[in-house]
Amino acid sequence: MSALYLYPRWLRAWHWINALLFLVLMYTGASMHFGEGGWLMPFDLAVTVHNTAGILLTLGWIGFVVGNLTTENGRHYRIHLSGFVDRLIVQGRYYAQGIFRNEPHPFHVSVGMKFNTLQQLSYLGVMFGLMPLLILSGWAFLFSVSLPETLLGLPSVWLVAMAHLTLAYLLVLFLLVHMYIITTGETVTTNLRAMITGWHREDDPSSGQTEEAKS
Amino acid sequence: MNDQVISAGTGGWLALGLLLLSVLPGAMPQAEAAIQGRLGTDNADCLRCHRMETLGYRDPRTGDLVDLHVDGRQFGHSAHGELQCIDCHEGDFGQYPHPESVLGQQLDCVGCHQELHKADKRAYTFKTIEQEFALSIHAVSDSPKAEGFDCHRCHDPHAFRNSEVGQPIAEIVRAGNQLCLSCHKKIRDPHSTAHLWLPKRDKHWQSVRCLDCHTPLTDPGQPVSHQILAAKDSNFDCVSCHSKEARLLGRLYQYRSETDLAGGGWLSKAVFNEAYVVGMSRSPLLDALGLGVIGLTLLVLIAHGWGRYRAYRRLREDRS
Repeated sequence: MSALYLYPRWLRAWHWINALLFLVLMYTGASMHFGEGGWLMPFDLAVTVHNTAGILLTLGWIGFVVGNLTTENGRHYRIHLSGFVDRLIVQGRYYAQGIFRNEPHPFHVSVGMKFNTLQQLSYLGVMFGLMPLLILSGWAFLFSVSLPETLLGLPSVWLVAMAHLTLAYLLVLFLLVHMYIITTGETVTTNLRAMITGWHREDDPSSGQTEEAKS
Repeated sequence: MNDQVISAGTGGWLALGLLLLSVLPGAMPQAEAAIQGRLGTDNADCLRCHRMETLGYRDPRTGDLVDLHVDGRQFGHSAHGELQCIDCHEGDFGQYPHPESVLGQQLDCVGCHQELHKADKRAYTFKTIEQEFALSIHAVSDSPKAEGFDCHRCHDPHAFRNSEVGQPIAEIVRAGNQLCLSCHKKIRDPHSTAHLWLPKRDKHWQSVRCLDCHTPLTDPGQPVSHQILAAKDSNFDCVSCHSKEARLLGRLYQYRSETDLAGGGWLSKAVFNEAYVVGMSRSPLLDALGLGVIGLTLLVLIAHGWGRYRAYRRLREDRS
């Protein structure tokens, strides 16, 4: 059994608060988008809760960025270009074929790199691409009365609304895939437990030690 | 106002009202003072009599109760609060009984307002208001109830004040709708079938003004028109507000401007934002694409999980 401490307390706190806010924003966002009825939250309440959760998500995201700039956790988001495409293909092939043939994981978690190339790419895209855009469009929504009448010849509020909606759908998609992919660790709950305890534990001692030594 | 009509042309009856009041034990000293000699002509002098809530008479022609009472405090807060009574009620009102010559004046709001400083520079001129009103159902209706309909029916000159930037939307809606409902009382009848077609009728009544549907759509940035539409001509098209142009933002929600946001605190305004209208973000294409892709992804993930489970079972069987 190898054990690597990969998820410091601040990161785990951010992650679970962020996860909770994601769920709240999805539910209240759907309540606002589709209107009241059935299992949806009353509209007025949904608006207030969604706005509050959105503001907290913004603060959380700023905390995440600052945390990654000031601690060693940021290194996991730095792309190593050498062999990048090859690693991407290998990881993709594993998820598409190898995983059904009980092939060994092509990537081994280490202190130096806890994400495989596909994970790294998707987290980078989400945290530094989709999230800031979602947050920006959300704030534009909050202050929609201050927006110009038109942007690029189209009603600006509508543009903001469509951007926010598209980004929201993409992030729901990410959440689904993320929740599934974390079950593809050594066991179904290996990655989940790591995000709860901070310790990534694997049965095969050689893998972790080897990668740790490399880093 | 409803059946209580403030009129400048009721001096004779005013005298009778005062005379009647003068025989009431409690009102005697004040009324007595009012009917003797010359009165002053500043607002305090006028309100000396007109502040009395019971000052009024029943018009023998229409049977309406004509209210001559002016709430001094309300008047002070009104759009005309800084004016002297005699600025509008011209003539020798300092004389009591008021002379016949000054009674029965038709007060011309538009004429007066057009003379105001920079009146012609306004984005929404009083000339436009006059033209719009001429097309209004209140002006063209044959109904006896609409006879002689003038600005004062809705805009009580002693109480009316414009909605202001920073005022809560709910307050603006309530005050605006109260004007309409003070005459259109049947709408409030629990058995009324009016507006039954409207989804979430009560919610709409709380959230938007009657005017937002019962006036023609105006250009962005323009206030609601004074051309009040008949029910059959009113806006039944949901997407006029619940759409990508979200016209409510340019009409009712114009009161939530930058100064409003700064005044109330930006964080508070951000949290308690009222500008989102249901449907503003609706796009059938994006909804179909988004929900479709999410649904397909879910199916792929379930299939992938099933494949992994079968692989795991095979591994277990091979080991055993």
